[in-house]
Amino acid sequence: MTKAPYPAPRADADNAGFLDAWRHGRLLIQSCGSCGKSIFYPRPMCPYCWSDRIESREASGKGRIVSYSLVHRPNDPAFNDETPIVLAEVELAEGASLLARIVDCRPEDVGSGRAVELPPLPSCTRYPLPVFRLARDE
Amino acid sequence: MAPARRHSGDVGILGYAESAYEKKTTRTLISMLAEVARGALASAGLARKDLDGIAVCSFMLPPDNAVTLAEQLGIPVSWAYLGTAGGAGPVASVMNAVGAIEAGHAKMILCLAADNYDIAGHYRLMDFFNRALISYATPNGFGGANGLFGIVQRKHMETYGTRRQELGRIAVGQRASARQNENALLRGPMTIEDYLDARVIADPIRLYDCVLPCAGADAVLVGTLDRAPAGKGIRVLAGYEQHNHPAGEIAPLHGGWELFRDRLWADAGRGPADMDFVQAYDDYPIMVAIQLEDLGFCGKGQVGAFLAQHSFSFDGSFPLNTNGGQLSCGQAGAAGGMIGLVEAVRQLRGEAGPFQVARARCGLVSGYGMVGYGHGLSSSSIVLERVQ
Repeated sequence: MTKAPYPAPRADADNAGFLDAWRHGRLLIQSCGSCGKSIFYPRPMCPYCWSDRIESREASGKGRIVSYSLVHRPNDPAFNDETPIVLAEVELAEGASLLARIVDCRPEDVGSGRAVELPPLPSCTRYPLPVFRLARDE
Repeated sequence: MAPARRHSGDVGILGYAESAYEKKTTRTLISMLAEVARGALASAGLARKDLDGIAVCSFMLPPDNAVTLAEQLGIPVSWAYLGTAGGAGPVASVMNAVGAIEAGHAKMILCLAADNYDIAGHYRLMDFFNRALISYATPNGFGGANGLFGIVQRKHMETYGTRRQELGRIAVGQRASARQNENALLRGPMTIEDYLDARVIADPIRLYDCVLPCAGADAVLVGTLDRAPAGKGIRVLAGYEQHNHPAGEIAPLHGGWELFRDRLWADAGRGPADMDFVQAYDDYPIMVAIQLEDLGFCGKGQVGAFLAQHSFSFDGSFPLNTNGGQLSCGQAGAAGGMIGLVEAVRQLRGEAGPFQVARARCGLVSGYGMVGYGHGLSSSSIVLERVQ
């Protein structure tokens, strides 16, 4: 039986670059050319200063878990055989924070404060949004 | 000398109504809204011709809106309001109605809230709730609000040492009240052990941290207090709403209440210690806890000790969500933001029967909602007092 596809993000002119980069395993993060702050999720203007001088930069993919939950009851059946989903607030080294899955780990090894990194290609790109794994050289 | 009030004190709540709560329903949204519209007028002794304003909060209402609802109900109105703040919307709608009456836009406003979905409908709603969730949360299998508030609760526990044993006192206390309320969907006994050992949903969130999505409707009628039935007027002392605070945080441990708390209590001429009950927005015990901190019932990070000291049933030391709240009655979509208003009015009118709070003269109702990328964006609160 084929696995149900993951729900897909809605692509638009503001997030096309971000979504396309992830299909190649790269994490693009916006930063503001005026105030310098990092921005997630993709937007057409800086939410901190309303500048439209938005630049996209490839992030290191390194960050840390701020907090997380272990989702045993995901909404969409596409996730049912992957529970618990480790859903984390991840703070990137570049400053922005995002919600992301921590994959390729035992849930009991996850902890707030732990370092994370992007998993290696190509396994990670099957996910529709950037995911992380626990850093190997922590 | 009484402190200056932002509001005249001449406007208040004249009537209220609540439909039966149902796990599943074949009823249409309009039939549920019509039922509580009639009920709110009846409890005020007023007629539909007295109405000239309408407010509605409902997730399932689109593509209809406040104006098309007025058409369906057959009432001409000079003021119409569509709530956009999720579970913070109904309290905000009442404050906007008070302001509209004071400004002369209307004289008598019906504030309605209802939804007619079930658990599956709630999941669909959350996956498609707004653009940020559709594109950046749903593809992660985020588990709806449960997954997000699991992150918030863990952060509160790890930052301040808050324990599940303490948070559970909220659910257990409310269940004790719900056992007296025939309209609560969950009325079975619950001990702290039941709460602690319940099935894991989104660790650290377990089953009794979660609300049961259901169908239901609630309404209050807002007008000048000279139109209130004798001895039944409920004065609006103060109220505020706040959206998108703190901006830019995914899982904050505080909300918009902290910005308006001082104004709220100053306008009301009352403080936290003067409240005979609190109807806090209880989508999760952790959010009740954060509201209690932000509104000044205890210091930030000190809610664990506060919870350990008090009991929360209608006859406890801190009567909280005295009909059982959403945690025991069910969450009827956007009406989850009005169930506390209706319960506050019921208590202040002395009509709560077996779960009546002794000497209920003044109380607080609080709202929270519109989950965006990580947390609820909207907060609201109102202070109500029985007209002496």
